[in-house]
Parts: sequence; structure tokens; C-alpha cells
Amino acid sequence: MKIKCLGLLIGLLFIQISYADISKTVLPDSELIEWKLVEGNFELKLVQRLPDQTRSFFEGRGFSKNITRDIANSCVFQTIGRNNSKDKQQTIHVSLKKWVVKIDQQRLPIKLKETWDKQWSDEQVKPSSRIAFRWATFPTEQSFEPNGDYNWGMISFGPQPGSVFDLYVEWKNNEQKKSAWIKNIICPVNK
Amino acid sequence: MKFYVNVLTFLTGLLLTGNALYASKLMTPLNDKKAAVNFKLQDMDGKTHQLSDYKGQPVIINFWATWCPPCREELPSMNRGWAKIKSEGIAMIAINVGEDEDTIFTFTGDYPIDFTVLLDQSGEVINQWPIKGLPTTFVIDPQGRIVYRAIGGRQWDADELLNLVRALK
Repeated sequence: MKIKCLGLLIGLLFIQISYADISKTVLPDSELIEWKLVEGNFELKLVQRLPDQTRSFFEGRGFSKNITRDIANSCVFQTIGRNNSKDKQQTIHVSLKKWVVKIDQQRLPIKLKETWDKQWSDEQVKPSSRIAFRWATFPTEQSFEPNGDYNWGMISFGPQPGSVFDLYVEWKNNEQKKSAWIKNIICPVNK
Repeated sequence: MKFYVNVLTFLTGLLLTGNALYASKLMTPLNDKKAAVNFKLQDMDGKTHQLSDYKGQPVIINFWATWCPPCREELPSMNRGWAKIKSEGIAMIAINVGEDEDTIFTFTGDYPIDFTVLLDQSGEVINQWPIKGLPTTFVIDPQGRIVYRAIGGRQWDADELLNLVRALK
């Protein structure tokens, strides 16, 4: 009996540690929505950005109104990826090239920072603006080591403001492929 | 009954220990210890600094920008960490990426930085270092090799973190 109870308690402990979830929260200050995925040591947060927020950020970095309008209307989210492991072996790798936006039965790739960068001529965008864009956007490929590595940056998912889409997220934990769908993500509209 | 209390106490202790470890964020040791790429950058007063000037002492090098929220969160702890180590023969450098003196000067009115701030306005230096996002911090050993990396912010005034740097001396 004692052994069974001990087994049950250890089982409960294990369930707590390996609990994986996708949650949705309305942030109290901004009233923007955050989607959070936790699976093992990997944590991913997607936080809505209003088009006006994104527009003013890039205008402040020297982008023209036309370009900032294009970026702002491409469903930009603040994204935070984190490796919560303390285990030296638990490296997490994220490649945005593997992520898929599903909207209206269509499956679309994410518009990567490299794609944006290529579509602008040197006459349109000055070097300092390109630098800001590069470092303010989420890396296309990134490894997160244990001991608290995290990174953040904007991702443009593509759909128009007000659209609702599902996102396929893929990552690797020590070469082991993992994936999840985050359903019904809402591209925010200006308030 | 006593048995179950003991088991629960043990499991609670195990959880708390796990959480304490979880809360402790240090740095990633880099076993290949590659030589850090030298740079030549100006500080806010126009004085030129090279990484090679700091050979013989551990150097903490932080890449940041004023618009980067985790950088803003991390910098005050770096300033407090600097107050602890500045007389210990350890250097701390913040390399700003892509911004000008005026922007940084305004920023430091709200976020004082007492250690060296260098300007990488063209992004030439950050492109030569193994960096994917801001902030990223490296620790260079006295031989000029990269021995630790931290992607994302840390609490730089934590002694458990600073002790890793102190041990390099």
C-alpha cells in the first residue's frame, strides 16, 4: 500500500514537471492578448502588437511611411522564446522556416526578416534602419542553450489586421523534433 | 501517517529545490574557447577602444540597443554589477548597436551607465560576433578567448554569476 501511494505521489510530481500547455491571456495593462506555449523546457510567448505600435516603432527607426504601413499591416507579434532547462544537454533549436500559418484552408510560410530586407532598395531604407530591423525581429534560426537563454523579437505572420489564423510551431529539443498548433490567433486591429 | 508526511515533505523539498535551481540563470560555458574577434570602436567621448587593450583581464561585453526591452531591464543590474567589480581588475563594456550618441545620451539620462559604452553604428562589429539577438553578453578570459555566453538578459549583480567571471582572473 505504502509503495503504491509513493508511486502515485512520484507520478504526480512527474506530471507537474512535464506539464505542457497552450494558454491565452489578456494582458491587464494593454488589453492585448498573449498566447503562451510551454512544452518541457521550451517556452514560447506570442504577444499581439497593435499596427500603430509597430508603425511608430519603425518610423522612429527611420523607415518611410509606406514601408512602415506594410510591416504594421502584416500581423506583427512580439515573440519570446526561452529555454528553461538547467540540464547542459537540453539545447532547443527554433527555425521559423518550419513554422506555418494556416488561414482559410491555406498554408503559408512566415514572412522572414531576410525576405523583408531583400525587398527594400538602398534608396528606400538607410543602413541604420536595416540594422534596427534586423535586431528588432526574431531570428530565423536560433539555438537556446540551458542556463536561461532567451530571445525576443517581432515576427510578421502575414495576415491582415483582424484576421484569425492557426500557427504550426516546430522546434527541436536535442535533435528531437517537437511541434504544436496554436489555434485561433488574432491579428489585432488598432483601438 | 508519519510515513506520508515524510514522503510529502521530501517531495515538497524536491520541488522547491528544483524551483530554486530554475530561478537561477547563469551563462553557457563555451568549451571551444574561440578567440574573440578584436574590434576598434569609439566611446561617447570619441575615444577609441580596442578589445586587445583589455588583454590580461576578464572582460564582460554586452551588445544592446536602447529600443530593446530586455536590454533596458538588464542594464541597471549591469550597472550595479559594475559597482561591485570595478576595482577587481575586470572590465565591462556595453556595445550599442546601430544608434548615435544623441540617442544613447538621452537614454542614459533614464538608465545611468557608469561603465564603458562603445558605439557600433554601422553594425560591423556585431556582424563579426556569434550573435542572433539582443541583448547578448560574452565573457572574455584574460587570454582573449570567449568562455561564456548569455543570450537574453541576466541579473549581473548576482554574485553567483559574477563569481564565474572572478574565477577567470
